[in-house]
Amino acid sequence: MSPLFLLIPILLPLAGGLAMLVRPIKDVTRRRIWCEAVTCAASACVWAAALFVRRDPVSVYSFTRGFAVNFRLDGMANVFALMISIMWPLVLLYAFDYMKGDEARNRFFAFFIMTYGVTLGVCYSADMITMYLFFEMLTLVTIPLVSHYGGHESMFAGRKYAAYTIGGASLGFMAVVLTTMFGASGTFIYGGSIDGTYDARMLLLAFVLGFIGFGAKAAVFPLHDWLPTASVAPTPVTALLHAVAVVNSGVFAVMRMTYYVFGADFLRGTIAQAICLVLAIFSLLFGAVQALRERHFKRRLAYSTMSNLSYMMLGAMTMSPLGLKAGLAHMVFHGIIKICLFMCAGAFMHRARKTYIYEINGIGRRMPYTFTAYTLCALSLTGIPLFCGFVSKWQLLQATLSAASEAAGNAVPDSRLSQILPYIFYAGTTALVIAAFLCAMYTLSISVRAFFPMDDKDWFREKKVKEAGPLMLVPIWIFAAVNLALGVCPGPILAVLTAIGEGRM
Amino acid sequence: MLIALIVFGPFLGAAAAAVIGKHNEKAGDYTALFVAACVLGLTLVLARSAGSTPLYPLEVGAMAEAAVSVCPEFAVPGILSGGLSFSVNGFRAVYAVITALMWAATTLFGLEYFAHERENIGRYRFFVLFTLGAVEGVMLSADLMTAFVFFEILSFTSFTWVIHEETRDAVNAGYTYLFVAVIGGLLLFMGLILLDHNCGTLSFEGLSEALRGAGASAGSTADPQILAAGVLILLGFGAKAGMFPLHVWLPKAHPIAPSPASALLSGILTKVGIYGILMTALYVLAGELRFGLIVWAAGMITMLLGAVLALFSVNFKRTLACSSMSQIGFILTGIGTVVLMGAAGSGEAAMTALAGTVQHMINHSLLKLTLFMAAGVVVMNLHTLTLDEIRGWGRNKTFLKIAFALGGLGISGVPLFNGYISKTLLHEGIVESIHVMREIAAEPAEAGLSIMAEKLAVLLSAGEWVFLFSGGLTFAYMTKLFICIFIEKNRDEARQDAYDRSPVCMNPASTAVILGSSAFMVILGMPPVTKRLIAFALGSEEIMHFSALTGENLKGSCISLAIGGAVYLFIVRRVLFRDGSYVNLWPQKLDLEERLYRPALTKWLPGAMGAVAAVFGENKVLRPLCSKGFFRAFQSIMFLFSISTDYIILSLRKTIFREKKVRTSGVGQISRIRMVIEGTEEAAAPVIRNFTFALLMTCLGILVILGVLLIVIIHITA
Repeated sequence: MSPLFLLIPILLPLAGGLAMLVRPIKDVTRRRIWCEAVTCAASACVWAAALFVRRDPVSVYSFTRGFAVNFRLDGMANVFALMISIMWPLVLLYAFDYMKGDEARNRFFAFFIMTYGVTLGVCYSADMITMYLFFEMLTLVTIPLVSHYGGHESMFAGRKYAAYTIGGASLGFMAVVLTTMFGASGTFIYGGSIDGTYDARMLLLAFVLGFIGFGAKAAVFPLHDWLPTASVAPTPVTALLHAVAVVNSGVFAVMRMTYYVFGADFLRGTIAQAICLVLAIFSLLFGAVQALRERHFKRRLAYSTMSNLSYMMLGAMTMSPLGLKAGLAHMVFHGIIKICLFMCAGAFMHRARKTYIYEINGIGRRMPYTFTAYTLCALSLTGIPLFCGFVSKWQLLQATLSAASEAAGNAVPDSRLSQILPYIFYAGTTALVIAAFLCAMYTLSISVRAFFPMDDKDWFREKKVKEAGPLMLVPIWIFAAVNLALGVCPGPILAVLTAIGEGRM
Repeated sequence: MLIALIVFGPFLGAAAAAVIGKHNEKAGDYTALFVAACVLGLTLVLARSAGSTPLYPLEVGAMAEAAVSVCPEFAVPGILSGGLSFSVNGFRAVYAVITALMWAATTLFGLEYFAHERENIGRYRFFVLFTLGAVEGVMLSADLMTAFVFFEILSFTSFTWVIHEETRDAVNAGYTYLFVAVIGGLLLFMGLILLDHNCGTLSFEGLSEALRGAGASAGSTADPQILAAGVLILLGFGAKAGMFPLHVWLPKAHPIAPSPASALLSGILTKVGIYGILMTALYVLAGELRFGLIVWAAGMITMLLGAVLALFSVNFKRTLACSSMSQIGFILTGIGTVVLMGAAGSGEAAMTALAGTVQHMINHSLLKLTLFMAAGVVVMNLHTLTLDEIRGWGRNKTFLKIAFALGGLGISGVPLFNGYISKTLLHEGIVESIHVMREIAAEPAEAGLSIMAEKLAVLLSAGEWVFLFSGGLTFAYMTKLFICIFIEKNRDEARQDAYDRSPVCMNPASTAVILGSSAFMVILGMPPVTKRLIAFALGSEEIMHFSALTGENLKGSCISLAIGGAVYLFIVRRVLFRDGSYVNLWPQKLDLEERLYRPALTKWLPGAMGAVAAVFGENKVLRPLCSKGFFRAFQSIMFLFSISTDYIILSLRKTIFREKKVRTSGVGQISRIRMVIEGTEEAAAPVIRNFTFALLMTCLGILVILGVLLIVIIHITA
């Protein structure tokens, strides 16, 4: 099948959403059917594309020479696209229940499904220019979602989100420009597309700028602060966009840049790698510690997302096939886990009308299904075997450790950097384990509060709080079950990711 | 297949018990009992079929050839990346049986214990059976990964036992338990991944083969990474075993759990940790001197600290919990001696110490089963555990008195009871190790070991005295408990009368269970039986030559008991017993958890990170500095610029363009300047409001890029 087919999953949700904006659908049932139908159709197209589309690049539109919108399907794009193609319809179901009774639902759902198309655009883009284009579009279509509730806090969150991500993307733009100016073509080819004559220093500068800039969407320090603030958005948005789609497209962009534009071989052992590693390590610890201090349920999860995104960055920054595989694995698994955690948090906030963690004591008795799912995912996030979080954490540690041994093997006496690098990797492994421990503290303490309230602090003993409805529980439990299934049988998916990491797909 | 049934059967049984228990409480109880009994039967069948492969080969130097051949007997390939694999040898079979036995006994006892406390019983039943499967999974595992998976399962399922009662104390103990469990799990995880990274396998057989290739035989030093992995694994499993410094949860969690669960926590779950340490010591770091010393030292500290804490405690179950800690110390010391002797190349001493270790593990499981069930009887009758309140209660409870006395005699190592043999073996191992070290020191050799041997011999001799002293303390605190509960009279006479009026304290089933379990103290106190058991567990007949009741061995025991008697008479009666009541003189402030662990996690680490964040983050320092400072500078430049243009225009008009008459009123000029300034401020205000760190970074970034580009271009053109 022609690669032009890729346009269908991108344009379908965009058109569907725009249609809803132009002609609002008043009837609840009809709107639900429309949204779900558009999303499912797009997802079907994604699967069809994964199965049948040829792996050739296709140029859709050319602005000027060398500046065109190009798409191409490859393994990495497939992983991200297939992942969100499963998540979007499910979270949409959850959103139907969650947004019940909201006045501006029509606008919400319109932008919500439009985001799907844009994210797929990020997946399928074949060079840095196209990716940058969709990256900016992603910011724009999600701003209305972040400030959906319209209060002062929401507007502020929206503004902050815009400033950070647009600001970050502009750094990314500089990276794009510098890259194309100083020797790389910007087209995504595994192993890098740097040609014969290049200026190494400028390219490294471009890489660091790109890391910080695209990393802004992945909440990497120093441009991390928008993520916790943005958790005032409706839960479906925080669950899907701020735990998976938007933030992962940041990680995705960095991975693309690292492995497909510059190439791991070019970057390994450079000062740029050291800088990015330190940033990733710092933000993964920082996120975990902040999460522990935080008392707001969703903000705590947001900080945890920040920490976990940096795990992926750390994996990617090992500049090895193992690292790319580990980063991708954590991207998929963390997506599943975190989406479920956020949906549980949302169900709690929706039913109990409470938002803080100290208000949670005893809710487990009232909402047993929700919080059992929560506990399963919390264990997984900590990295307990049998759950998928363990698998990716294992991969990450393996990647950092072998990167450390390799760096130690490559150390040259007269180069300070090459001697420091192994220690940075060891620091990374230690930080991973510390962060995992902190993660256990900040996620499991919620479970303990929910299920084992102290006798005098059981807030929900008399209150009648209803368990979440089926539209919420079904997606929650699907993700919890997938989390368990992938934890027990990670073999097939790891095989695919290994192939991608080594550039075979 | 049998193994699969033993390991995975209880998981299904747990679900069955939960479902049945929901409809019919009684039927649920009996289902649980039935499952435990079935597992016991199956493990016995398994033990019959277990081959006698040696747990530890005799000649340490030539351990290569004798090789630890554990044949994998059951495996689930393809899941969890590495697959699960299980196997059986003598030691595993023995421990599988003991596990099932303890489960059956406590479940039977639980029928009466939980008869009146039905709250959360369904949850308890489910998780107890689930843990049974997990424990059997660890005990029968053939690789570290399998052990780790089941270890984590039991960590989390046994958490529900600790927090069962949901009181404030229970919840606090639960948190401590949970976090130590998580820390342990992660340290273990880290250790495993280091090991896997270095050896490429995690199966016991594969590991010992891989490391033998690397030359980790007698006395050689292993790769530092392997040693690091070993220490991490030691800490990880040690956390569950209650090893210093991760023991903090044990004295809190064991007393707070329901008594049948305490018996399991203390008798079996600690042994799961020991199992992991033992396997690491035997298969991974068998000849590593440093590892041996670390285990040995940790064992010594745990042993002494536990015994001292137990002596000071005034709570029945807390004393027993601290005693568990102390006995774990004895076992760890044994493992340390095994590794040290492996490093010194003395297979015989290692074998003795290993026999002592295994035997003490078995003994301690059964001892704590009896003692904690006795404590359970006290709890279900009196609902309190404070020594002063339960004093005198047991004066007329004959069966309980007998059972507790047997337990006390066993754990104190009195000759003719089971603890004597195992402690003697451990002691013998230490004594032999001192001899070995002295011999090595006497030999003129330039190997690394001989330089240290002199010092090691001194250290080990000091250790021997710590060992004897801790044994004495064991005797002292058990005497304290026994005399308090079963001999003395309560201070409150009315209460004593009430106690004396009710001679029946438990139903026949519980009586049978408690007496039955205490019978092991006597049975295992008979040397022929014990020696057969150890020979089967170790898969070697070596131990059959050992004779327990020699003068030399009795001497050690007598010294210990004498110390114990003296401590009881002069410290317990004189210092810890004031004005007719037992007092706890242990300084409350000496709490590792409250002083170090909690502040480190809740205050120091976040504080440090917060400080860093305050400097680099946006809200505290950088943002005000950047936004305000930047705009001040911008504004003043604009100001100067506007003033100067104003004056330039003014002067131009005055001088060159003098066509019109210019009104030169000072007020006008000032107001115009004012307007410019206000205009700038007005324009800047919304920008300042929306100004964020990111935009600033962008601006700076653009400036930097422009500067760099300029330099580059100049560079190129020049």
